[in-house]
Amino acid sequence: MVSIRVENLSLIYRLRQKLTFRPRDNRIPAGGRIGGKGRTRFVTALDGVSFALEAGDRLGLVGSNGAGKTTLLKVLYGIYEPTSGTVDIDGRVDALFNINLGFRREATGRRNIELRGLINGWSPEQIEGRMADIIEFSELGDFIDLPFKSYSQGMAARLAFSIATAMEPEILLMDEWIGAGDPAFQEKARARMGELAEKAGIIVLASHNHGLLSKTCNKVLELGNGRSNYFGSSDDFFEGRNGAT
Amino acid sequence: MAKVIASALADIGAGLKMRRVWMALAQEDIGDQHRRTALGPVWLLLNYLAFAGTFIFVFQRGDSSAPHYAAYVATGLLVWFYIMETLTQSVTLFVREENFIKGTTLPLSVYIMRMATQSVMRAGYALIGCLAILAMSDVAFTPMWAWSALAVLLIIFTAPAAITTFAFLGGYFPDSQFLVSNLMRIGMFLTPVFWTPGGHGIRNAFYYFNPFTYFLEIVRIPIIAANVPVRSFIFCAIISALLWGVALILLGRLRKQVVFVL
Repeated sequence: MVSIRVENLSLIYRLRQKLTFRPRDNRIPAGGRIGGKGRTRFVTALDGVSFALEAGDRLGLVGSNGAGKTTLLKVLYGIYEPTSGTVDIDGRVDALFNINLGFRREATGRRNIELRGLINGWSPEQIEGRMADIIEFSELGDFIDLPFKSYSQGMAARLAFSIATAMEPEILLMDEWIGAGDPAFQEKARARMGELAEKAGIIVLASHNHGLLSKTCNKVLELGNGRSNYFGSSDDFFEGRNGAT
Repeated sequence: MAKVIASALADIGAGLKMRRVWMALAQEDIGDQHRRTALGPVWLLLNYLAFAGTFIFVFQRGDSSAPHYAAYVATGLLVWFYIMETLTQSVTLFVREENFIKGTTLPLSVYIMRMATQSVMRAGYALIGCLAILAMSDVAFTPMWAWSALAVLLIIFTAPAAITTFAFLGGYFPDSQFLVSNLMRIGMFLTPVFWTPGGHGIRNAFYYFNPFTYFLEIVRIPIIAANVPVRSFIFCAIISALLWGVALILLGRLRKQVVFVL
């Protein structure tokens, strides 16, 4: 049975002054709170976040830019290691973050499917088994054996979407709902995303689209400056919002 | 410390399990670099032969002070090119892989092994050229060549440790890419790649106090002098062990931190 249990999760990282001969890099990260002074500045990206999800839960992450939504997704995916607190996850975690990542321009569409599959951790048998479905869904036809660089933007997006969604997720993390292609393909993509969402045991979806979240999610976690402002039923959250406005 | 080493080994273990990924990506990297050329990766061989041929033609002396000079240069260039390319490329490794590091959970050792494999593949083309020069040169094939093969394996084994160390250096100290690439360019002239030791003075100091000399010697000496440079082997083994020690510590301590500095 899939589940996610996050308790008192914090992520604090040091803003390192890189050892460089260039003038000091004074860029600051997009989100979180900055503490400390001079050379020892810290960013508190997440601060004491707790929530629990069981099979069937669809969690919507809401909050303004820099609130910590993407950071939380990356902690759940395992890219960032929490500074304190616990994250217990039962089930395989798949993510749809940047679906265009790692496509090779010179390689054919077919080879890109193989490479993306390997990067996703698929076995050669799984790649072979999913190949026909991906090609069919992407509607690339004979183009699949041409170099990726010869594809139009729409074709490239269709291939990326088809590969990214050719999985059977147990826990699915999404940074915004994804779609691709022309209106006809977008309809197909919506249906595919719906199927994916149905198949997944748990979904965590970060989005600014509250309409989508209220339709898709049964729970909401609102983040602000890395802190949890609300965790509970999405109906209560959105009703409260609508009532307030 | 045990926790740090265990963390590094966990990354390496996960990376080794994903060998299909780094082998496929390394293969694609080599292919991409020569995709639109008529000769493809054969350019790597021609590049090596052009360098080796030039050095042999320009610097070979007719006297007996530099015996087997063609073999000397061929083996020296093979090892030097491998070391130079490995070190200069590794300084920018994590920066080049930033999007992957920030967007996937691939272990860092996947990127390290991808680069190590790519370097070995490139060196493979140079090796063909080196063997061709050796076949045409005046050195005799002896069982001692097995020591050279062992030396090549030791250098290849050391490469992932060097890549790891330099990749973290480049991640935390961006200027190091220029320092390293300049040092390696100068290093070609300060390392006995095409010149031979002799006499006294600064040149001898560069020969004996340059660690790269010994990595060249362990490959070169068994071929051109038919004996085993035991001290050089021991020295290189120690350097290799030290580099692996540093690499494991860096990987264990910083593998989950590097994402914040890229």
